[in-house]
Amino acid sequence: MTTGVIQLDHGTGGGMSQELIAELIAPRLGAVHSGRMEDSAVLELEVNRIALTTDSFVIDPIFFGNGDIGKLAVCGTVNDLAVSGAVPRYLTLSLVLEEGFALADLERVLDSVREAAAAARVEVVAGDTKVVRAGEIDRLFINTAGVGLFERDLELGVGRVVTGDTVIVTGWLGNHSIHILSLREGLGFEQRVLSDCAPLDGMVGDVLEEQGRSVRCMRDITRGGLGTVLNELAEGAGVSIRIERQRLPIQHETAMAADMLGVDPLYLANEGNICMLVAPGAAAEILEVVRRHPNGGAAQIVGTVREREGSPVTIVGTDGTETVVELLYGAELPRLC
Amino acid sequence: MAHCAVLTNDLQYDLVNKNEERRAAVAAFTPGMQRFLAEMRTLGVPVVHLQLINLDDDPHAERYDGWLPATKGSDGARIVQEFLAAEDVVVEKNKDSGFFETELHDRLQELGVDTVIITGMQTQICVQTTAADAFFRGYNVIVPPDAVVSARPEDQARALEWLGSYCATIITTSELAAAIAQDSLPTFSVVPIP
Repeated sequence: MTTGVIQLDHGTGGGMSQELIAELIAPRLGAVHSGRMEDSAVLELEVNRIALTTDSFVIDPIFFGNGDIGKLAVCGTVNDLAVSGAVPRYLTLSLVLEEGFALADLERVLDSVREAAAAARVEVVAGDTKVVRAGEIDRLFINTAGVGLFERDLELGVGRVVTGDTVIVTGWLGNHSIHILSLREGLGFEQRVLSDCAPLDGMVGDVLEEQGRSVRCMRDITRGGLGTVLNELAEGAGVSIRIERQRLPIQHETAMAADMLGVDPLYLANEGNICMLVAPGAAAEILEVVRRHPNGGAAQIVGTVREREGSPVTIVGTDGTETVVELLYGAELPRLC
Repeated sequence: MAHCAVLTNDLQYDLVNKNEERRAAVAAFTPGMQRFLAEMRTLGVPVVHLQLINLDDDPHAERYDGWLPATKGSDGARIVQEFLAAEDVVVEKNKDSGFFETELHDRLQELGVDTVIITGMQTQICVQTTAADAFFRGYNVIVPPDAVVSARPEDQARALEWLGSYCATIITTSELAAAIAQDSLPTFSVVPIP
């Protein structure tokens, strides 16, 4: 590399672009990169059903306490695939870089992509690099696509949800949001509340392997938080869901921060947390499988699916009062992922 | 014996003069705060002023009608003279919490401090976040309600309730001075979430 920062010419497709890809991006991605640098990646598949997802990552700041935008991009895509029941296999990675972005920072991000992809056993099979003028974006945005393979004879989906099903949440609610908000403003919580950003394909794989027939559907708890996920599930399945406040896995410091900021952890985004709707008879076993996983130690059974009656989602408070969990509508905190 | 220090937050010209509401609240708070700081100095308690310095390239720094207050070296960034004494320590910070990427923790450790008395402006932002951060770092935290200030009383009331619930002992400056004189500072203990 001729300079230590991204230049507009790195995005022209010419010699500097090739140099950036060949001398920096591909070596940093190492073994998780299997693209042939052609216009398309050609994949030979042994299944006839795949899951396909896409996502964009614009988090601010791009580096946080226990991760960065690269790790987030891989984990976010992998988790979207995993909750569909597919085994995540392939990713694409498109980088939109701001002129002047430090190459050393790009290397850090790519190292994270490599490590997260290796942990999730996915390959980066295609990519793209664009450069825009200084000020046109904030440092680095990433877009991904992901392909997962349905290797198990399982069908998951909201259509399988029935009255009596149990709701499981696999991790602390809201930690990713509180960590990022605290970092941005220097609120003092960022070292106590870490992001939950992690690939959960292993956890999901173990659950499906051991109790797959009892899993109705799963959703990644990202933007809008658990409150939004439950509303979407209840509407999709035509049921009501009742959860209990005291069962929600909320870290003490997250509760502190949420209370200070005047936000409800129910609506805060995670990046490594799943809501599972499962058959009640298997809930305890599934909870045990989840808790065996390094990112599942805080998992809890939080509620039950009921016949549709009144509001789609309600919560029972610590005083026994039942209130409606509204669908989050336009109060999103920006650039958390 | 507890070793305490007073931390003030954001008592700087640009910040106390942000608007009329804030000027009035600070004017009412100033005489009592001056007496309290003088008493603490007499008792040998170090006073550390946390000085917010906004960085030009921080997109999250609060701007007042388009201009950035309290920038490095500006008059507006100076600690208000009424609160400052020659022996006081000034620690620069760039975010709400006085501990966020600053030398505050190291300075307090050098002074042998285990209890911090957190004061200044505003109760619901910098006082609250600095108190939480201090608590997480293992300090015993005390917040005197008559040594903190907010433009809106309701913000202050809510913040004090939060502080008392989660991380700080709330006692008045006179109670605090008596406790220091008798070497019997109260210690905050965590109330478990039900």
